[in-house]
Amino acid sequence: MINSQTQSTLRSFIKIWTDFATSLDTVPVIDKLRRGKFRIEDYQQFLINHRQQVIEGSRWIARAASSITSEYAEQRSMFLKHAITEHRDYKMLEANYVSVGGKLEDILQAEKNIGSEALHAFMYSRATEPNPFDLLGAMFIIEGLGQKKASQWGNQIKEQLKLDDKQVSFLLYHGTHDDDHMKQFEETLASGILEIKGMDRKIIKTARIVARLYRLQLEEIGHY
Amino acid sequence: MHDVYINSLGCFLPSSPVGNAEMEEYLGWIGGKPSKYRALVLRQNKIKTRHYALNKEGKTLFSSAEMAALAIGDAVARSEILVNDIDYLATAATLGDALVPGLASHVHAALKIKPLEIANFQSVCASSLMAVKSAYLQLKVGEHSCAAVSGSEFSSRYFRPGFYEHTDTFQQTGEIPFQTDFLRFTLSDGAGAAILETKPNARQLSLKIHWIDIRSYADRFDTCMVGGAVKRAGDWSYWGGFNSPIEAIHAGALMLSQDFELMKQMIPVWITHYLDLIDAGKIILKDVDHVCCHYSSYSLREEATKLLEKAGVMIDEQKWFSNLSTKGNTGTASIFILLEELYHSGKVRKGEKILCQVPESGRALNGFMLLEAV
Repeated sequence: MINSQTQSTLRSFIKIWTDFATSLDTVPVIDKLRRGKFRIEDYQQFLINHRQQVIEGSRWIARAASSITSEYAEQRSMFLKHAITEHRDYKMLEANYVSVGGKLEDILQAEKNIGSEALHAFMYSRATEPNPFDLLGAMFIIEGLGQKKASQWGNQIKEQLKLDDKQVSFLLYHGTHDDDHMKQFEETLASGILEIKGMDRKIIKTARIVARLYRLQLEEIGHY
Repeated sequence: MHDVYINSLGCFLPSSPVGNAEMEEYLGWIGGKPSKYRALVLRQNKIKTRHYALNKEGKTLFSSAEMAALAIGDAVARSEILVNDIDYLATAATLGDALVPGLASHVHAALKIKPLEIANFQSVCASSLMAVKSAYLQLKVGEHSCAAVSGSEFSSRYFRPGFYEHTDTFQQTGEIPFQTDFLRFTLSDGAGAAILETKPNARQLSLKIHWIDIRSYADRFDTCMVGGAVKRAGDWSYWGGFNSPIEAIHAGALMLSQDFELMKQMIPVWITHYLDLIDAGKIILKDVDHVCCHYSSYSLREEATKLLEKAGVMIDEQKWFSNLSTKGNTGTASIFILLEELYHSGKVRKGEKILCQVPESGRALNGFMLLEAV
């Protein structure tokens, strides 16, 4: 039986997540995909801009893990495991880019777009604070996107650009382990971190900020 | 400001109930062949019987306006008012009988009552709550004191073979798409009505309206259930934009269709509306005694309840009232037909609260209404 504090945090999170995920269709690049007008250049740009997010993702999670004090060893393991599972994913993304005619050196040299700069500056600043469990709110926003949206986008891109699975493997791969999103979030919330005073509010606020900045990152594709 | 009460409910379901095996005898066989999706759709929606306003020859027995007037007549007959006490009429329908003028004028004519103010609401299922809300506000501010509200649908007429067989898709493949055939086994005909007054009944239970909250999410969803438009190469073409209605028919712009996958994506959004109302203190879960939720298919209800349970906001299924399986999905009429049966069932006791919900997939809309038996 989960307690009412966990449930109320979960409810707030569901609202933020749903609002974020369903309104993404109005971001110009996603709207274009939805309208069936995607070009190969759009996919290349998407991959170039997304690579920074993937690389930085495992880095700020690792930094957050190092900010977790010893009484939260179990949660620290979770952060570390998470960082490991993702820290080489960008290789797949680079291969996808090259497979659709992109030059490897172009994607390797690409810098963060202005939305990514804002998002990651925020992430690192939070990850440096002691016991930054509010970043769980961030992780579940970003994870949820991978689970719920990536494969949908991947399939749309594949269909519109007549690509094969291998050329969109990064997006398709992230959509495969589906459905446990809320369950995992609920379990993590119930693991004792909500006993830290004010943490419930902080998790929700961070989720809201990250949802906004993540959207900005997509809105600013191609703007450096 | 006045309190507003639903003082009577009525319905009109044409002819005898039609069982699953008989459906196509009324709707007809497209291309002379039975539908290949019928069994699948019926297994998912779990509807067992429904009503049609046409006979087996495809002939119209009642217009939508006539059904609405008969439902209002039924509500009046079971009320403490006289039909000429009605001074405001609001009607809701997905599609009226004519494109122009609005159905409300025709319902007024069919009712044969004195000149009065009318309002016409047209969307999909949730236009029922738009109509109730307009009447509620008219009465609340004292503009009128007695209103009739109806929801009526006659969708079966658009499900006959001639509405599909002239499309290019059918001409080329001999089949119609799932998203159009699916609706043929989902929607059916009927009308429901409510009488609203600014004072409660003297002799029978009244349902006091606490609030009605309607929210559109069209900012983020593409059109999902559509009639009069067709998507070609990613863009919508509207029927009036073709060179002739015949071209529109060939392109498939005059078939009703629904994107089932897109509709499923709307469920979490509708649930966030519910969560917002809980957070705002408008819905207090432990105070809800009956849930009247209009849903088009039992399988969608299951999807929604899974999420509600996860969020810890599920109201005990024992409190859910539904007559979808026996009276079918009648669109805008459904919420009235649900409330009518619940109200007359004797299950509602004084002091109990009824939470009504009408989601609409058209372009992602959702409405809630809270009633209290007094």
